[in-house]
Amino acid sequence: MAYSSSYGPSDGTFFVESDEPGHQRMTMRDAAKMLARNKQEMIANELSRLACDEYLEDIMQHLRHMEDETLPDANLIDMQREIQWFMRPYLIDFLIEAHSAFSLLPETLFLTVNLLDRYCSKRVVYKQHYQLVGCAALLIAAKYGDKKDRVPQINELNNMCCGLYDAGMFTQMEMHVLNTLDWNIGHPTVDFFTKLAAAEERDSVEVEHMASYICEIALYHRDFVSTKPSVMARASLALARAILGKPEVNDGEWDQNDNVTLLTLSQHLHQPSVTLARKYSSPYYSRVSTKLADFLAQQAAIARRGVPPSPPQEHATSNKASDVYSTPNKGLGAVPGVADGYMTPPITPDGASFAPGNAAMKAYQVPPRCPVTPTPQGHGQAYPQQPPHQQQQQHHLEAQSYFGSGPHGAF
Amino acid sequence: MDGKRHAASFQQLEKLGEGTYATVFKGRNRQTGELVALKEIHLDSEEGTPSTAIREISLMKELKHENIVALHDVIHTENKLMLVFEYMDGDLKKYMDTHGERGALKPHVIKSFMYQLLRGIDFCHKNRVLHRDLKPQNLLINNKGQLKLGDFGLARAFGIPVNTFSNEVVTLWYRAPDVLLGSRTYNTSIDIWSAGCIMAEMFSGRPLFPGTTNEDQIIRIFRIMGTPTERTWPGLSQFPEYKTTWQMYSTQPLSTILPQIDPLGIDLLQRMLQLRPELRISAADALNHQWFADLIGQSGVPVQQQSSMSSQIPGQPQMMPPPYGQVPSQVGYGGY
Repeated sequence: MAYSSSYGPSDGTFFVESDEPGHQRMTMRDAAKMLARNKQEMIANELSRLACDEYLEDIMQHLRHMEDETLPDANLIDMQREIQWFMRPYLIDFLIEAHSAFSLLPETLFLTVNLLDRYCSKRVVYKQHYQLVGCAALLIAAKYGDKKDRVPQINELNNMCCGLYDAGMFTQMEMHVLNTLDWNIGHPTVDFFTKLAAAEERDSVEVEHMASYICEIALYHRDFVSTKPSVMARASLALARAILGKPEVNDGEWDQNDNVTLLTLSQHLHQPSVTLARKYSSPYYSRVSTKLADFLAQQAAIARRGVPPSPPQEHATSNKASDVYSTPNKGLGAVPGVADGYMTPPITPDGASFAPGNAAMKAYQVPPRCPVTPTPQGHGQAYPQQPPHQQQQQHHLEAQSYFGSGPHGAF
Repeated sequence: MDGKRHAASFQQLEKLGEGTYATVFKGRNRQTGELVALKEIHLDSEEGTPSTAIREISLMKELKHENIVALHDVIHTENKLMLVFEYMDGDLKKYMDTHGERGALKPHVIKSFMYQLLRGIDFCHKNRVLHRDLKPQNLLINNKGQLKLGDFGLARAFGIPVNTFSNEVVTLWYRAPDVLLGSRTYNTSIDIWSAGCIMAEMFSGRPLFPGTTNEDQIIRIFRIMGTPTERTWPGLSQFPEYKTTWQMYSTQPLSTILPQIDPLGIDLLQRMLQLRPELRISAADALNHQWFADLIGQSGVPVQQQSSMSSQIPGQPQMMPPPYGQVPSQVGYGGY
């Protein structure tokens, strides 16, 4: 199965560079509200701590079981005849935008992709239905975790797909996904483990945002489709701390699986999706995508100044930059064939492969993404995404796509 | 689900309950003769599968426990979804109406039911599930004296740290004070408050706090439990529904309100009905409470089955519920 990590830039997007108004003077009422919110947060944390003390061990045991039960199999997805790995980034871009447009909970995105991948591990999917399966997965994930009034309307989803499918196909596919997955929706998403570990290690919000950015970058790649969320959480947090120059934490033994995940993750940070990078460039997300790009540029500069490029395995462990990815006590060196402290290969942060004219790109067109105007609603604390007005800034995309060709047969 | 069973595999018997989202029928498996409860969910062509059904089915598939009603199967037909549950003879509300003395049950029956209720809750919480709608109508009873949690239509999984939830949960009379005050970050303690209300109701035969509105519900709770202050409940004034105009009530001893409960039972009830959620006892700790010490076995099998010889006073009527003959029609899903 062909796989290419490069994919085209996305023009239509819900994310814009920061245009938040500067610091505004706080009114007394705002201050009082904030105080109340902080107090409520403290009460909530106290409650969590109690639930944690009492039930954490049992809950973890259950979630580790559920994690195994709900792991997609990338090898089975390899066997798909029509859908190919290079199509994945387009669909993930689309889902990330839809997820933001509807202001869904962070875990809903991870659950959506899990449902999509589990379905694709079990059923043959035609390429013209790939986006439909993604939409059905998003619907189910939102219904499972989000408030009722946030759940996308089918006509809204249909509009986002530029009317590619009949309205009835969404409900049909939804039921098909549910039945295929035997209604096992309770997949423990990576953010459950990330939040827990971040709370335990008292990581900053910035570290959490960087970790979640890294986890969303991972959604684009086949390498992490069958990685357990608990492993992903640990690796992304360690990487986030390293990138942001935070001290390492001692979070127990790392096995080879953890180390390989950390290493592979560090190799996939370059050329993140433009859509995703834009989402994480907002101040709400501590502008972590900019910070990561700066960090990588800095690494590349250091590498250029140093010894001439040589195969990664031979990269000197004495290189200053190698400290970043090496996590002493965690035995990166234990990975066979991999040098301790794998060095980031020099890259251009913005990615040459994004340039038009890439031969692989020409043959494929992006999936349709039409503007959507979800029913406007107040944005509570739990739903931090962009205000809806920004969604109108997107451009129309070429509606014709590989998803759309061919008759919409029944499935 | 794998096509092994069809809607036609079940003979539909009388209706057990009805609501806006589902109708529950008694049913019989044509092959085995086994009785089941069939919950039929209408599928809207606009909306697709209701979120309540997605949560209910996926969570119940994770929750296999003897104090949680078993979901045997999900059958999908063209415009409806049929959930096949194990059959239970009735719910606690009806049991109290038919077997209680003016609704009040015998203390050892209550103890057995409370133990089973708390075991069911404990299992939910250990599997990171909040039930969020515990009330007598949703506790199913069979004629073996077993009690099982039913109707997971409002249930959901929770995270650590807690997520933000809707506060429009739990039937008003069984709704915890922190939720009434507008908290959206409640946790497992929300189910414990309901359990406390149910325990009191089994003893007295009447709901403990039968409020009519959110405000009235809060006042009814304060009248018995005492009006809290910022001193007794730090952070109280930060709740959205906090009012400076609340009348100040002093705390009534539960033993005077519910004189029929023994001191140990009062102690447990007191721990479940703490206004402050962080002070409420957990289900796991409640199961270890002294009040349950005289229950024989920790299996959740009701005491009267295992110890009917030793603990039953001769001549006393059997506390085992007789099978339900006629089930009166009612609003709701018959507890499923």
